[in-house]
Amino acid sequence: MIELIDVRKVYKAGRFEVVALDGVNLKVEEGEFIAIMGPSGSGKSTMLNLIGCLDKPTSGKVIINGVDTSKLSDKELTDLRRDTIGFIFQHYYLIPTLTALENVELPMVFKGIPKSEREKRAKELLSLVGLAKEMDRKPKELSGGQQQRVAIARALANNPSILLCDEPTGNLDTKNGKIIMDIIKNLNKKKNVTVVLVTHDPATAEYADKIIQMRDGRILDVL
Amino acid sequence: MFFELARRNLARTKVRSTLAVIGIVIGVMAISSIGIFGESLKAVVMENFKNLANELIIVPSYTHGYTSIDEKTISKLKKIPYAESIIPVKSKSALVSFKNKKTYATIYGMDEAEELFEIEKGTFKGCVVGSKIAEFFDLRVGSKIRIDDKEMRVSGILKSEGARFDISPDYAIILPIKEFDKVFDEEYSMVIVRVKDLNQIEPFKKSVERMINYREEKVSIFEMKMIIERIEEMFGQMTMFLMAIAGVSLLVAGVSILNIMLMSTIERTREIGIMRAIGAYRETILKIFLMEALILGIIGSVLGGALSLVGGYAIDMMILNTAEYVFTPSSALYVFLGISFGIVTALVSALYPAWKASRLEPIEALRYE
Repeated sequence: MIELIDVRKVYKAGRFEVVALDGVNLKVEEGEFIAIMGPSGSGKSTMLNLIGCLDKPTSGKVIINGVDTSKLSDKELTDLRRDTIGFIFQHYYLIPTLTALENVELPMVFKGIPKSEREKRAKELLSLVGLAKEMDRKPKELSGGQQQRVAIARALANNPSILLCDEPTGNLDTKNGKIIMDIIKNLNKKKNVTVVLVTHDPATAEYADKIIQMRDGRILDVL
Repeated sequence: MFFELARRNLARTKVRSTLAVIGIVIGVMAISSIGIFGESLKAVVMENFKNLANELIIVPSYTHGYTSIDEKTISKLKKIPYAESIIPVKSKSALVSFKNKKTYATIYGMDEAEELFEIEKGTFKGCVVGSKIAEFFDLRVGSKIRIDDKEMRVSGILKSEGARFDISPDYAIILPIKEFDKVFDEEYSMVIVRVKDLNQIEPFKKSVERMINYREEKVSIFEMKMIIERIEEMFGQMTMFLMAIAGVSLLVAGVSILNIMLMSTIERTREIGIMRAIGAYRETILKIFLMEALILGIIGSVLGGALSLVGGYAIDMMILNTAEYVFTPSSALYVFLGISFGIVTALVSALYPAWKASRLEPIEALRYE
């Protein structure tokens, strides 16, 4: 379960302060699938980064599975990201020197899972996203859709309970976008993974149970 | 996996990594080959002195007004148990002539000269001449030379030996005491003492102090070991100094590693952010970067260490005309030293970039364009 309590985020840009989030309250239940929509600069990516413990709020609390993240050390936040949260980014963000298989293994390497076990799991995950044949390819030898599927497999490596997706279909054509969204929806339905998804695209947002509209750092509407 | 990651990152920028390795190779090679050369130079010089370490020279204490050592003192010295041999020496500078050539030479009177010197031709029984003297006069065994108008038959010619601290045998003429006394009226000018092993130098010195110098200092003792040690120390310092100069090249290599690692940190900012996002600790990032430097350091240092043997060989052949001392345990030590310095330099140089990379905030790193 994710809870945001009166979260503010202010960026300093030179002499000016930019308010990215202005007192946001939000609750996402376990197994829920929510989409966050809104124009650029509305604060939707900032909110996702705060939920993902990649960033810290200026004030307010971010609570993940009952833990107040503001009280955690850098190491504990890293553990939380590694074990509880899976990230899917618009630009895939795979490590270019590693093969698809190794990219999926990486979060398990950080967790210290033995080689044979992590290799087996990485192979299973790649099969799950339909890339069993492409596991030994480097990211640049894969198409955009394939890279995003590797990224999903990587996000699932340590069995996270939360999946955070930042414009996962933003760089893909409609067909590949649909494949990706079907995988994500499937994970939400069958494995009860909580999904928070940021998107511009109304068709993508349709997959969610709930759509949150944002503007100027505030939540406007919940559909 | 981290090693693999580090290796592939280095392979990504092959030219850059190769240049960094070359820097280390040059640095390590410079340090180790100069170390090897310094050690060889020392070995060549010390070769002359190697048999002298267990020698003591006793001379009259000039500062207390003594100009010679009397018979009584000699007989006391001979009673001290720690010495293996005690060779009293008389000496006098005299005009020596053979046929129509003349020169001044130092004439030594001593028995048991065979304990100190090696003979080239003839025997020690009688008048023994140094190699340079023999060369100068073109002497052979049986030649008749004149020392202060007294005719002597050459019984032996010494092997050429080079410089020593006690006696320079090449320019000397050595007579048994009995013969010496026939020509000159001199007291003993020094006593050369040899001990069985170096541990007996101290007790011997103590005995001399107790038995001879108890009332006033009649004799002074010089330890060859001390002089040799000073010379060794000097060569050691010189080698260190030369190595420090060579070390500058390793420093430059270190700066170049610092530079490429900093570049690498900036270029890979996004990747660092990704790894932090999916669960890498700060230490993990630090480890990956240090691993890269370690790989560069190990490859460069080992190559440099191997090449330093070639370098040491070349310098030795050029300056000392011998490669006898290149492949010795002490050379191995300098190679090891160079390799260690190379690896440490690479690691230290990478410390700052690696630390910087590990301190990046995940979100800033991810946003980096």
